[in-house]
Amino acid sequence: MTGVARSALPEPYNQRVRALFEEPQHAGEVVNGPGRRFEGRASESAAGAQIVLAAVVSDGILAVLRFRVFGCPHLIAAAELTCERFEGEPVKKLQDFSVSDLMETLGVPVEKTGRILRLEDAVRALLLQIDRTATNKD
Amino acid sequence: MKSTHANAPIYLDDAATTRIDPQVAAALSACFAARADYGNAASSHIAGRRAQAAIDTARQQLGLLLNARPQDLIWTSGATESDNLAIIGAARFRAHRGRHLVTMTTEHKAVLESFDALEKEGFEVSRLSPGADGVLALSALEAAIREETQLVSIMHVNNETGVVQDIAAIGALCRSRDVLFHTDAAQSAGKLPVDLAALPVDLLSLTAHKFRGPQGVGALYIADRPGCSVAPLLHGGGQERRLRPGTSALHQIVGMGVAAKLAHDRLAANLRHVTALHERLWNAVKRIPGVTRNGSADAHYAGILNISAAGVEGESLMLALEPLCVASGSACNTQSREPSFVLKALGCTDLEAQSAIRFSFGPETSLGDIDFAGEHYRSAVTKLRAIAPAAAA
Repeated sequence: MTGVARSALPEPYNQRVRALFEEPQHAGEVVNGPGRRFEGRASESAAGAQIVLAAVVSDGILAVLRFRVFGCPHLIAAAELTCERFEGEPVKKLQDFSVSDLMETLGVPVEKTGRILRLEDAVRALLLQIDRTATNKD
Repeated sequence: MKSTHANAPIYLDDAATTRIDPQVAAALSACFAARADYGNAASSHIAGRRAQAAIDTARQQLGLLLNARPQDLIWTSGATESDNLAIIGAARFRAHRGRHLVTMTTEHKAVLESFDALEKEGFEVSRLSPGADGVLALSALEAAIREETQLVSIMHVNNETGVVQDIAAIGALCRSRDVLFHTDAAQSAGKLPVDLAALPVDLLSLTAHKFRGPQGVGALYIADRPGCSVAPLLHGGGQERRLRPGTSALHQIVGMGVAAKLAHDRLAANLRHVTALHERLWNAVKRIPGVTRNGSADAHYAGILNISAAGVEGESLMLALEPLCVASGSACNTQSREPSFVLKALGCTDLEAQSAIRFSFGPETSLGDIDFAGEHYRSAVTKLRAIAPAAAA
């Protein structure tokens, strides 16, 4: 299509998704360090997306937040953005996790809502594990 | 996962469409520019007769490519229309003899949905599955053909895997049982030798844009044999022996003729070229752990290589592979979201099918393109596996 500007082409991913997908700073395992390690997992189905969120919590702070994802670029970008936003924040801030905000920021197509909801499941699973540990301590 | 998105695209999707040959583009332009020759081929005046002469030349050029009589070729808008006309038209033409039809589960949608439409008209359709290599067992076809069977439609080269069916043997079987044989040759015409004087094929569909001609034009070969014809799907004119009425698309037909001539002249050289590219790409990727070829390694057209990578999500792989222009088996970037039904018919799991990538190349593809593609694929697979949970990777 000679002469058609790239900006005029239909794009399945916005620039934010592309940037987060290309350079996922928080992909991988948590490294050993001070604090306790927690993990939240979620998956779509046997053949679908898989998400692992891992955190090191120190003094009520998400000192380290990492993800592993088997899924589409939107899900990888959403996981990376989640880690970017909540790493270094108090654990309770994770309760502010918002699917709709992620969907809007990343321009996630509505038919992929289910995948982003699985990320929410992983966040909830992580929170639950942290809460249980705290409760057991009490 | 740094992509080279800003880099120029490397086109490896010839099975979807090929880039038009400069000589074909020149012929199209000349057709528009030569105003004295631009008429309606159905008109009896000089401009109409000149248009008809140009169309006749194109028909001869296409006849040369297929070793077919020019008068046995009719122009259509492409392979989809040719498939529809061949299948629906032949079934209706022979409906008084019987209403059983046979095809394969790995056919193009243009074929499968034509049969779906015929089922709604009361025809019975047998859909045969290939083996894990994508090849149809002749014995399965033999068992499927009944007394009332009128048409068998089996594609020559599969558009996703490149698997080649033995259309000579299939056609011979059909002839022996007095059954018409149609083949969708969209992926083989102009790329592999297709000799219709020797092959027992009754109906053959093809399209120009798969062999560097223009999009929007194709042809249907109808053998000049007793009982072999089609009932037209369109009505309203005498063009194309009344089988496909409508004003002939002069410039596109001229372009298809030139593309056919070039494909004929270059066929052997092009085939050697894509065979070398195929071997180079497969050698570059086959040692990546978990990478498998989809479809037969023996009965295949070398211009297509379809591979799956365990533990890699297809849509992410497609993005990571930019600037390569390739096709995905996950279909997340197409209008469908289902894993490829073709790969599933070969026994692939959903995960294997959605990680599949089809590389397809042609005479314009360079060794440098292939080397880049192989290395880029390895890099993308490695990086995506590195961020996937252990269970997936």
